[in-house]
Amino acid sequence: MKKVTVSICTGTTCYLMGGAHLLTINERLDPSTLDSVEFKGAHCLGLCSNESNGKPPFVKVNEHLVSDATLNKVLDAIRKELKEIQHVS
Amino acid sequence: MSHAGNSRTPELPSRGASEKKQLFKELEFHQVRKASEHTAGDAYMVQKDAENNRLLAVLSDGLGSGVKANILANMTARMAIRFAETDTDFVHYAKVIMNALPVCQVRRIAYSTFTVVDCRPDGSVQIVEQDNPPFILLRNGEPAEIPFQEYSSEQGDYRKLRVYRFVAEPEDRIIFFSDGVTEAGMGSAPYPLGWRTQGCSAFVRGMVADNPEISARILAEQVVRAALQKEPDRKAHDDISCGVLYFRTPRQTLLASGPPFSEKKDREYADIIRSFPGTKIISGGTSADIVARELNLEITTDLFRFRRSNLPPISKMEGMDLVTEGILTLTEVLNLLQGKNPPIQPNAATLLKDQLINSDEIHILVGTKINQAHQDPNLPMELEIRRSLMRRIATTLQEDYFKEVRLEFI
Repeated sequence: MKKVTVSICTGTTCYLMGGAHLLTINERLDPSTLDSVEFKGAHCLGLCSNESNGKPPFVKVNEHLVSDATLNKVLDAIRKELKEIQHVS
Repeated sequence: MSHAGNSRTPELPSRGASEKKQLFKELEFHQVRKASEHTAGDAYMVQKDAENNRLLAVLSDGLGSGVKANILANMTARMAIRFAETDTDFVHYAKVIMNALPVCQVRRIAYSTFTVVDCRPDGSVQIVEQDNPPFILLRNGEPAEIPFQEYSSEQGDYRKLRVYRFVAEPEDRIIFFSDGVTEAGMGSAPYPLGWRTQGCSAFVRGMVADNPEISARILAEQVVRAALQKEPDRKAHDDISCGVLYFRTPRQTLLASGPPFSEKKDREYADIIRSFPGTKIISGGTSADIVARELNLEITTDLFRFRRSNLPPISKMEGMDLVTEGILTLTEVLNLLQGKNPPIQPNAATLLKDQLINSDEIHILVGTKINQAHQDPNLPMELEIRRSLMRRIATTLQEDYFKEVRLEFI
C-alpha cells in the first residue's frame, strides 16, 4: 500500500514556532495507521523565507502544505490523505 | 648567586626540530583536592604566548593542605610563570625561587615544590622540577629516560633542582603530577609505599596502549581517578593533581554555518567544505541545503532521535561528519563551552561541542546572509545574529580552550 509521507520541518524558525511539539506526532497517531505513514525529517524546507507560504511551522503531508501547523492540523491532513488512498485502492 | 652551574648546561636541542611540521600541544589538567579541605593545596597555571607560540605550565604543591598550602603553591606558581615568561635563563630563576623559599623549621620540608614545563615552538622542551615527583615521558608508548642536570639548594638542605631538556617527537606525552598521585594509597596493604611513579608509569603506558589516540584531557582525568581509587575509602589524603601535555599532529575541524552573503559564492562555499582535510560540520538548514545542492548530495534527518532534547535533530549528509540546525544549536554550544552543565542525554549541541573540544585547529566559516524569518517579531525568543554568535564561540575556543581558531566570513 502507498504510504503517506509526512515531512516535518526542523529548521530554526519552524522549530521555535511550534515544530518541536510536532515531534511527538508518532505517539499521537492511531497505531493501526502508523504503518501507512512515513515520517521524514526535513532540516529546513526553506518555506519561511516567503510570506505567501503562510506562517511557520511548516509540515508537508504528501504534496499538501500545512502552515502554522499544530498536531491536530497535521493529524487531520494525514487522515485526509489516508482516505484518498483508500478511495483509490 | 653564582652562575657556575650554567656552564654545565646540557646540550641544546638539535636544529632539526624547527624543520618538523609544527605539532599541536594539547595541555590538560585534572585535580581532586584533599577530602577534608575546601581548597586545593596544589596550584596549576598555564600561560600560552600567542605571539611566539610558547607554552608554559606550572604545577606547584604547597606545604600542608587547604588555604595555607594554596597560598604557598599559588605564590610559587605565579613566581615561576612570571620569571619563565621573561624569556631569560629560567634555570637561574628557578634557583632564585628555591633559595628564596624557606624550609619548614618544624618538619624540615620545603614550603613548596614545583614543576615548570616550558615548550618552544620548535618543539624543544625544558622541564624544571624541584622536589615534585619526576615527570613521565611516554615516547612511542613507552616511558623514556631523559638525562637531567641537578642543582642543590644553597641553604644546605635536601632540596634539589632538576633540569631536563629534550626535543619533543610526534605523539610524545609528558605526564607530570603532585605527590598526591605517587603517594596514593600509601600504608594500605596492596600499596604500602603508595602507587609510586612506577605504578603511575605502568598505568599510563597501559592506557595509551589501549587507546593510542587518548587525549590529554582524558589521560589526566584517568590518572587522577586511578590514584583516588588507591586511597582508603576513596578519599584523597592529599591533593591529587595531574597535568598531561600531548604533542600530536593537529586535529582539524571545519564548522560552517550560514549561507554566503552573495549567492554567487555558494559554489565556492560548498567547495571549501568539500575539500577540507579534517572533520566537517555544517550547522544550519539553509547552509546544508546549499552544500547538498552544489555537491549533489542527499540529506536525511533523524526526526525522533533527540526529540526530548529541546534542540532540533541532527541530519546526515554523505562526507559530512555532523549536520545540525544553526542558531539554536550553536547558542547552546556556546553555553556549554562557557560551563553550562551538559544534559544527561546527548543532543546536537553536545555532539558538536565534543567535536570542537577534541579538535586542535578549528576553521569557522560563517555565511553572513541574514535569514529574514529569524527577524520575525512573533518568534518566542530572540535569535542572535550569526556573525556575533560565531565570533563569541571563536573567542571562547581560543581563550578558554587554547584552540587555534580561524574565523572566515563569506
